[in-house]
Amino acid sequence: MLEAKNLTKRFGATAALDSINLRVDPGEMYCLLGANGAGKTTLINVFLNFLVPDGGEARINGLDVTRHGIETKRLVAYIPEQVMLYGVLTGLENLSYFAELATGRKSPDDELVALLSDVGLDRTASSRRVSTYSKGMRQKVGIAIAMAKKARALLLDEPTSGLDPKAASEFSDLLRRAREDGVAILTTTHDLFHAKQTGTHIGIMKRGSLVANFSSETLSHTDLEALYLQHMQA
Amino acid sequence: MLRTLLLVARQEARLLLADRTLWIISALFVAIVGYGLFNGVKQAALKETALASVLQAQMRGEQTRRALLGRILHEGALPDPFANPADPSVMGGGYGGRYAYMPISPLAPLAFGQSDIRPDYYKVTNRSKINFLYDTEIENPWNLLSGHFDLSFVIVYLFPLLIFALSYNFLSAEREHGTLKMLLSQGIALPHLVAGKIAVRAAVLLAWAVIVPLVAVTILRPEARSAEYLGPLASWCAFVVAYAAIWFALAFTVNALGRSSATNALILIGAWIVCVLILPVVLNVVVSVASPVPSRTELATRTRLVTGEALTRYATLLSTDYQYVDNPELSRPQNGRIAIAGRMRGSYLMERDVDEQLEGLLDAFNRQLAGQQQLISRYGAISPAIVAYEGLTAVAGTGVRRHLQFQRQIDEFHRRWCTFFDPKIQEGIAISEADLDSMPAFVSNEEDRSVMRTSVVTGLLQLLVPAIALALFGGWRLRRYSVV
Ligand SMILES: Nc1ncnc2c1ncn2[C@@H]1O[C@H](COP(=O)(O)OP(=O)(O)OP(=O)(O)O)[C@@H](O)[C@H]1O
Ligand SMILES: [Mg+2]
Repeated sequence: MLEAKNLTKRFGATAALDSINLRVDPGEMYCLLGANGAGKTTLINVFLNFLVPDGGEARINGLDVTRHGIETKRLVAYIPEQVMLYGVLTGLENLSYFAELATGRKSPDDELVALLSDVGLDRTASSRRVSTYSKGMRQKVGIAIAMAKKARALLLDEPTSGLDPKAASEFSDLLRRAREDGVAILTTTHDLFHAKQTGTHIGIMKRGSLVANFSSETLSHTDLEALYLQHMQA
Repeated sequence: MLRTLLLVARQEARLLLADRTLWIISALFVAIVGYGLFNGVKQAALKETALASVLQAQMRGEQTRRALLGRILHEGALPDPFANPADPSVMGGGYGGRYAYMPISPLAPLAFGQSDIRPDYYKVTNRSKINFLYDTEIENPWNLLSGHFDLSFVIVYLFPLLIFALSYNFLSAEREHGTLKMLLSQGIALPHLVAGKIAVRAAVLLAWAVIVPLVAVTILRPEARSAEYLGPLASWCAFVVAYAAIWFALAFTVNALGRSSATNALILIGAWIVCVLILPVVLNVVVSVASPVPSRTELATRTRLVTGEALTRYATLLSTDYQYVDNPELSRPQNGRIAIAGRMRGSYLMERDVDEQLEGLLDAFNRQLAGQQQLISRYGAISPAIVAYEGLTAVAGTGVRRHLQFQRQIDEFHRRWCTFFDPKIQEGIAISEADLDSMPAFVSNEEDRSVMRTSVVTGLLQLLVPAIALALFGGWRLRRYSVV
């Protein structure tokens, strides 16, 4: 579903992506780990055609994202690290707009309110202006927007950043269910525990390269931590 | 695609309304459009009243003179020598002179143009035309515009600023705020997003800029509703739309460059200063260097000189005493003839000579003025503000070209007037009742419609071609727009 082949992206002298190869099939959840500046966000941005790669290709459902930018974006839902919304509108109004843009049809408000309460935003909160929201509340609306799209693949860039532990664990459940429904998920995270718990595959990035790539069942949590630190120190 | 456009536009309107930008800008715009219109309507009404009362006074005067001539010819009334309808030297002068006037267009409230610096009527007599035609100057509107708060000022100067206020950051703000990534990740095309955003802004501002004046003019000036003014009204709207198109295209292109909102604002204000403030002044200077008009001082000096010469030439005539003082009967016409006072004949001849001798200079003056106008219409394309101003005033009937054409008609009328009275004054032929009917009367002619049509089309192209070119460049830059 999501596939990177020899993907390379340079910013001047720094290679943010250095010949990355990875593949996420339906029903899989690929967790990308790596230090700050390793290139995780860059990889997501290339998949969204926000950045044009200098080499290699990224494919979504077999389509090259550079050549089919719009079609491929229709197939994926995206949650950025900082979900940014229109402050003058309510959470519900924001969700309604983005969902209509994504699906091409207006969803009934009841449905959207239910979706928001699924991600932990109750009715009073969702009818308040977003400018009064905390970061975590905005993140929840972002999750609802992604869910409303009912996409076959998810591109998540530290989606749980700012979420309280309860919301984060509910989000993990949500992802697990999506994965079981056959959605392909590529997510970046700094949370090794979360990666081990919900991911099916784990990759470690370092200075633009994928230095490790394994199935999460093959490793215990402590092993993962040791491996990660070992890569970081090398 | 249309669906996306509508959705984006609806959302955009909602956002603009929610953060009050649209309210504030609309209120401000409607207020200044209204004030400009108010000034225009007031001024046009004043001019119309003035013209009507002058023409009415002229009509009453002519009735009085006709009645008086009747009494002199048939009842033996003794004329007052200085208000004698039988005396051609008196009738050809201030006593019988007729007004030449430029009808006030019903669209005049849309633009002052030349109308508040040049009179729209002149009293034509057998005195030298230097006395009335050259006492004012075709002024460059750019020297005056700032002093006149009319609708054309609002549109040419202030409209672009409101367009900027609403559009300078329409895309950059979304990127800076982070919502652009959210929007585009939904799978909508950037050009659709941009089109929807611009459409809302253009629709709102153009609604105020076009509909308010149209409604006001057609309500306050019922003549403007006639089919005759359909074309000019449509042209006026087209000029406003085309002028707005150029500034919207600029705001779009600047946003497509992908700079920060602050940089966008700077670029746009810079462009406004260059196009609206600097280029017109530069063109002005270039035009007056390339096609200099003989100076006013030169004209005055030459006039004084030829007048002086004429004074000496006709010294004997001019110094004769008025013979009526001793013999009042002399002011009575006898068998179609009348004794013209030497002093009256002398002063007529003097004025005639002044006209003859200044002819060359005045022709040059007019040629240069026409030349300047031609240069402005040719090179005005360097600034959309010049093109728009010229176009708006031309269709409102207050442009330089119409005024110059009016002047040529007055000149021609003055010539006919003098030709009519000249032999009568020279040979002492009394004015008969039939003469009152055959005296030259002024009929104003509007310029050829095809001339107007050509200038409207040229002006619109001078605005639309750069607008399209800018938009194409912006579109090309948009393809390489960097979202992150
Ligand atoms: N627009 C850009 N211009 C120049 N350099 C950039 C740009 N975006 C990213 N980089 C560089 O690319 C490298 C990878 O950045 P990226 O944002 O992908 O890291 P990351 O793994 O997401 O980090 P974090 O964990 O902090 O989110 C960094 O060295 C960064 O400085
Ligand atoms: Mg990142």
